[in-house]
Amino acid sequence: MPSRNEIIAMVKEVLQQEFDLTDVELNLDTHLVDDLDLDSIDAIDMAVRLEERTGLHFEDDELKSLQTIGDIVDKIDGRL
Amino acid sequence: MIPLARRIWRVLATGFSFALFGFGGLAFTLFVVPVFRCLPGDARAREFRCQYAIHKCFGWFVRVMEFLGLLAVEVRNVERLSEPGQLIVANHPTLLDVVFLVSKLPQADCVVKRAVMANPVMRSAVVASGYFANDPGDALIEACAGRLAEDRTLLLFPEGTRTEDGRLGPFRRGAAHVALRSGRPLRPVVIHCHPPSLMRGQRWYQVADRKLRIVLECCEAIGPGEMPAGTGRGAAARRLSSRLRDFYAKRLQNLDS
Repeated sequence: MPSRNEIIAMVKEVLQQEFDLTDVELNLDTHLVDDLDLDSIDAIDMAVRLEERTGLHFEDDELKSLQTIGDIVDKIDGRL
Repeated sequence: MIPLARRIWRVLATGFSFALFGFGGLAFTLFVVPVFRCLPGDARAREFRCQYAIHKCFGWFVRVMEFLGLLAVEVRNVERLSEPGQLIVANHPTLLDVVFLVSKLPQADCVVKRAVMANPVMRSAVVASGYFANDPGDALIEACAGRLAEDRTLLLFPEGTRTEDGRLGPFRRGAAHVALRSGRPLRPVVIHCHPPSLMRGQRWYQVADRKLRIVLECCEAIGPGEMPAGTGRGAAARRLSSRLRDFYAKRLQNLDS
């Protein structure tokens, strides 16, 4: 089972690779919409990448409830 | 004409134009759409017929506004719009951008606000024309790409809405996603209005003190370009959208000067 730090690193890597966010500082408080400008299509792509990496499936309602990177990490950490 | 008289004339003429648009839209919904529904042909033929009628009506409306001296529209390289199945994108400085553009497009699928779909007066004309509601998500991108695959022209405004100062706003990435999904290049139309007018938040009677000069510049198509292997869909859409916005910023700067 990955540690919390490994989950944080994995989520940051997915966001950086998928959305060209290499020059943006990412931390647990980073807001997905306000800071990273993720839209509804990005949310689907992010979920697909996270599903590939973790084997977890994210329902639409779960995706809508994710506001920050910390929320994603908590969600994955709680289910792995 | 002295400035005050000219101003009064412009307010009255603008009010008349908007009233004409409103009553014309109502008449279209009440009398034209039901007739079109009864004519033979499949859904595509009915939608094209309705879109063509809107194209003609918008053309007449623009000519009325030009006749009244409210504005003058110049379209550059209009022949670039003639090929079917294009993904046409435009900036959105004024309330009438869709009118100016559709008056030059005999067939164009448009994406409209959900509120327009819910408007009882406009709904039947919008549905009869095969227009989409701008619901967020992948289904809209798929539907747009599907229309392009059928060689239907699609019109999108990447800003999504007008800005309050008439300047170029941030671009949403829907148009870039449609281009990437469909494999069609973006055909930019740069709309420039001088003096800035009909902006978001402006009342209809807040008219400019002189005739509006509207320029529609139909530009060369912009393709997605080479993306490095492994580039995510989101990253590709961000890059294409950013290129498109940079293009608009430069063209508008040229037109301003």
